[in-house]
Amino acid sequence: MSETDSAQVKRAPAPPAAPRRPAPAGPLAGRWRWVAIALLLAAACYAPFQLVPFHVFQLTMVLVYAVALLGLNLLVGHAGQISLGHGAFFAVGAYTTAILLDHWDGMPYPVTLPLAAGVAFLLGLAFGVPAMRLRGLYLALVTLAMAIFLAPLLKRFEELTGGSMGLTLAKPAPPAWSGLAPDQWLYFLTLVVAVAAFLLAHSLLRSRVGRALHALRDNEIAAEVMGVRLSSYKTLAFAWSAMFAGAAGCVYTWVIGFVSPDSFTVNLSITMLAGLVVGGLGTLFGPLLGALFVMFVPSISQDINDAAPGVIFGLLIIAVMYVAPTGLAGLAERLIKKIPRKE
Amino acid sequence: MSTLEVEDLTAGYGDARVLHGIGLTVGEGEICAILGPNGAGKTTLLRALSGMIKARGRVRLGGTDLAGRSPDALARQGIAHVPEGRGTFMPLTVEENLRLGAFVRRGRDGVNADIERIHGYFPVLKDRMKQAAGSLSGGEQQMLAIGRALMSRPRLLLLDEPSLGLAPLVTRELFRIVQAINAEEQTTVVVVEQNAHLALGIAQQAHVLETGRIVLSGTAEQIRADEQVAQSYLGYRV
Ligand SMILES: Nc1ncnc2c1ncn2[C@@H]1O[C@H](COP(=O)(O)OP(=O)(O)OP(=O)(O)O)[C@@H](O)[C@H]1O
Ligand SMILES: [Mg+2]
Repeated sequence: MSETDSAQVKRAPAPPAAPRRPAPAGPLAGRWRWVAIALLLAAACYAPFQLVPFHVFQLTMVLVYAVALLGLNLLVGHAGQISLGHGAFFAVGAYTTAILLDHWDGMPYPVTLPLAAGVAFLLGLAFGVPAMRLRGLYLALVTLAMAIFLAPLLKRFEELTGGSMGLTLAKPAPPAWSGLAPDQWLYFLTLVVAVAAFLLAHSLLRSRVGRALHALRDNEIAAEVMGVRLSSYKTLAFAWSAMFAGAAGCVYTWVIGFVSPDSFTVNLSITMLAGLVVGGLGTLFGPLLGALFVMFVPSISQDINDAAPGVIFGLLIIAVMYVAPTGLAGLAERLIKKIPRKE
Repeated sequence: MSTLEVEDLTAGYGDARVLHGIGLTVGEGEICAILGPNGAGKTTLLRALSGMIKARGRVRLGGTDLAGRSPDALARQGIAHVPEGRGTFMPLTVEENLRLGAFVRRGRDGVNADIERIHGYFPVLKDRMKQAAGSLSGGEQQMLAIGRALMSRPRLLLLDEPSLGLAPLVTRELFRIVQAINAEEQTTVVVVEQNAHLALGIAQQAHVLETGRIVLSGTAEQIRADEQVAQSYLGYRV
């Protein structure tokens, strides 16, 4: 060490190492990302034992919305498409579950999850084929129409859906061995589904398919020239996003024990999209932050101004987008980057 | 057999026709240079060959008729296009860009080995694998675009001004690499290039395009020796 030091005394100071260009994935990359997730998961397992049942219920709903937003994030954030009708697939999952539980006595409720997800997937595929020939505003309009015509449709088939009265069901009860209260049991059921959905979305995005979706989002023509078949991948993205929404809808029915057309208005679809954009499109934590938004911001708006909650809601969206144009997840990354780090 | 045969190819944008009946043949494993002034339709010709724009006429690669196929189908037939403007997927990492290049290949066999091979050709890419492709310099992006095209193990490689944005030394190196790939893998190459000297240096044959028509064809030596071409495109008088 000292030898080389003295040998270099006469030389000009070594130039600084070649400047490194910024890494792509931000500070929450690699190992730290998984540490953050592990901590979050530990907190998620601990929380229901510290909170009152109503707050446990609220957390459960956040997880339900997070699953739905994972799907929306796949479509909007990763595949670069738009949907104003995500709530419709959420409703399809919820109603599939409710109808199954209502019409078949002794239907074990875990069975309804793959069925609800499957029905939503197939419906997404059926809608995706024509819808994905459209782009931008046209696609937005068609998906919006989907959300609009759902409620009248549900009311129309009264025998199956219970019409505007909806369907009321028994919630899954905790088994004796678990020693959990009903709200805690529902919470953990939802947590398991949410973690599974997260892992599924994550592995999907890291695969060859995920790369194809990203390529489509970034440069459609270049992606096609690489051999990515545009229509298939767009349609698949639509179907997958519907599948996640369907699974979320299923868990919604478990947790609420009631479905009616009024639970799934156009507003829900729009709030989901707004929530995702506010949370952070195409980011890992965007769906979770977005779910917090979907869950709490409408009621906070109500508290602030009972007369015009819509105005407050809109203003809150504008405010967040002004402070954090890349969403809350993007804001968090920027803040973490500001923390000085030791070499 | 990956002979490229093009007959009576017309293409354009909307109502505006740019190419008027192009005909050319490139033998298997040959390099063909396309020269011509700005706006002649060189880029348009490559776009028509890779399916980026609709074209009419006959295109055959190794005897298979390819007319009217979609770009993804053409990619599966072994056509790789390094487009004007590079077509880099900016937010994706260098590695993801390279792996996308292998998208049409079934299975993972050899993909990692091919990434190593690309590193051999373009060592800078090796240090930048986890970096967003958008953060590369222009020249590095050009290398990435070519590396990505090679990842598909193409039968026909279309290069649109590969020298754009590269330092002269790097450009010469790049053309040497193209020549090596062509020799090793019998890849048929069509290269559009402003630097006619370099292009003619590696090509067996060349065509000069003007306002959407081929006005001159010949071996690279013939074109190089042609007085008119020398004046118009090579920038010197003989
Ligand atoms: N996307 C487009 N839409 C409409 N017209 C286009 C488009 N791209 C090119 N053109 C037109 O087609 C003609 C040929 O363009 P092209 O890009 O093929 O020329 P080029 O030979 O590649 O020129 P250069 O050497 O400048 O790259 C030009 O007149 C151009 O205006
Ligand atoms: Mg051009």
